Amino acid sequence: MPLIDLGAAIALGLRYFTILYLTALGGLFSERSGIVNIGLEGLMIVGTVMGAWGTVEYGPVAGLLIGALSGLVFSMVHALATVTFHVDHIVSGVVINLVAVGLARFLSALFFGQATQSDPGIPHLGSIDIPLLDRLPLGLGAAFSNMSPVVPVAFFMAVPTIYILNRTRFGLRLRSAGENPEAAETLGVRVAPLRYAGVAISGALAGFAGAFLAIEINQLFREGQTQGLGFIALAALILGNWTPIKVMIGSLLFGIAQAIPLRLSDAPVISLLPEEFIRMVPYVVTIIAIAGFVGRVHPPAAAGRAYEGSAA
Amino acid sequence: MATAASGAPKRARSPRLEFVGGQILAFVGAALFAGFVGGVIIVLYGENPLFVYATVLNYATARPEDIAQVAENATPLIFSGLAVAVAFKAGMFNIGVEGQYIVGMLTAAIAALYLDWLPGALLVPAVVVASVLGAVMWAAIPAVLKVKTGAHEVVTTIMMNGIAISLVAWAILNPLKSTGDQSVDLRTNLFPGKALMPSIAEPLGLPSSVHLTLLFPVALLACLFVWFFLYRTRLGYEVRAVGSSSGSAEAGGVSIGAAQIKVFLISGALAGFVGLNHLIGDKGYLGNNYEVGLGFAGIAVAFLGRNHPAGIALSALLIGVLIRGEDGIALSTELPTEVLIILQGVLILSVVVAYELVRRAVARRQLKEEAAVEAAAPATEH
Repeated sequence: MPLIDLGAAIALGLRYFTILYLTALGGLFSERSGIVNIGLEGLMIVGTVMGAWGTVEYGPVAGLLIGALSGLVFSMVHALATVTFHVDHIVSGVVINLVAVGLARFLSALFFGQATQSDPGIPHLGSIDIPLLDRLPLGLGAAFSNMSPVVPVAFFMAVPTIYILNRTRFGLRLRSAGENPEAAETLGVRVAPLRYAGVAISGALAGFAGAFLAIEINQLFREGQTQGLGFIALAALILGNWTPIKVMIGSLLFGIAQAIPLRLSDAPVISLLPEEFIRMVPYVVTIIAIAGFVGRVHPPAAAGRAYEGSAA
Repeated sequence: MATAASGAPKRARSPRLEFVGGQILAFVGAALFAGFVGGVIIVLYGENPLFVYATVLNYATARPEDIAQVAENATPLIFSGLAVAVAFKAGMFNIGVEGQYIVGMLTAAIAALYLDWLPGALLVPAVVVASVLGAVMWAAIPAVLKVKTGAHEVVTTIMMNGIAISLVAWAILNPLKSTGDQSVDLRTNLFPGKALMPSIAEPLGLPSSVHLTLLFPVALLACLFVWFFLYRTRLGYEVRAVGSSSGSAEAGGVSIGAAQIKVFLISGALAGFVGLNHLIGDKGYLGNNYEVGLGFAGIAVAFLGRNHPAGIALSALLIGVLIRGEDGIALSTELPTEVLIILQGVLILSVVVAYELVRRAVARRQLKEEAAVEAAAPATEH
């Protein structure tokens, strides 16, 4: 029995990994371009309500895309405030999170007739089994069967991300905007549009992740369903040192940590630990990492700093 | 410099006036813009914005108990706004007010439940002290980590917030769980009556549904205290020096680390007051449905009020009006009350943007004036 639970826990953990990794990759693009984004939670919240509405109206594929698009649109508030008007990145991010809660309730009242949730059982994508892995013995196969097709896509997102950041003109310029905007501008790179692009990618990915949470995991929109996952994604981004592969490992770790209290609460050892203490793990690990007790983390040098630009 | 001397007589007092005038203009302009954006949403929803805004104002100011309600709403926001502002003046961002006040509520609840043998005159202060100590302890960890290891306080306090929520959830479900089985809510036992903050609503003849307590005047006193601290004490001066230019502060002999730790602990102490009105002014127990978000709202209040104590008090009252207005909207219109939360967000962002635009305009004018003076008086330049 506990082993079957283990398979189920990994399956759920992979779904949480998908949310965390996609959101953290979004944060990676934003922060590598120089814009700190603590509004990921709010962008995700907008994705949950818009994604749920989209899937009810037009089906799950459209729902996921609408979630991504609305996250993108909403993130432009953050870009406008920070890039164009030099509002402190943290202040703007906090406002994004504050407004998202109100906006989600407002939209939910509009779409579903009540501010706090949609009807349960909204349409979702069909599930897939991963060949071979789904036959793993000891109940582990359960981890790789009935999987949302988005989960494997999330794993492979590391490939285009690394390629874009390291091999394309856009990626190199984006990173230069986040590391040394003055030098970038001297070399003829326009910093502001790159930072807009970085924030837009973070909005789209966080909105997509929110829609995934509503459509593929909970099959409804419910107020507060993100439960701070945006902040845990931020933790994974920091723990992963703003690099795609390490962020993936962090997201995997934290995703499994999310699933353990939900699926393995009766397992040996874990049953002795209160659920709430397992929930603290991502935060504690990140504090330890950022304090430099295990290696060192290096944020992009110019992240959080306004760039006045040469046009003035 | 010669340019300064020739320019000075003409503009001896005006820059300061210009600065304040610009700020007021910026605020009014931003408020109008926010009202317009909110108005568009309201029209799209099929209601009349003027009627909605009049309803909000009416519900917040019509009767004495409405005004008292606004003051009640503003009480925690003043404390959290001050907590954010004090740290910000030292160049630090305390996004951890959220977690700090939540832990403060936990330690306050422990004091209220386990120090019940104290007489009333001592129990209330003991609960307040416990809340402050809990919050200060939660603030001390990121403060020390920042100074000792360079860990950025924004990241560590976000993480401390997450830990605080789980810690309190665990405490309410386990060691502090209510012993009576008549309650279906997840919460602690009721605090003894003598642990509750004295109300000032009842002596004023207001209905007991208004939870206006001594904490409101205490909040106003805290504004005075923070003003005095920042602008009239040595540490306050050092703090502002560190916040505006850490390099020159250090050259001036200020120990940056020590000043930052002290001010972060003061910020944490202020955060310790944020949850108290909810806890011992209203509920009388700690339940798992306690009020959240007051710490993040404090960031909004602080920036709306330009991180100045007087501005913070006014901003908190303004937000208090909007919170009170939600009831009016719910009763008199078909509009979801959340429109006011959206309005708050638009207001904060437009105010911050407006201040920035004024700063740029002033800087451009000064640059132009200096250039003009320099061009007009090249002979005085040596």
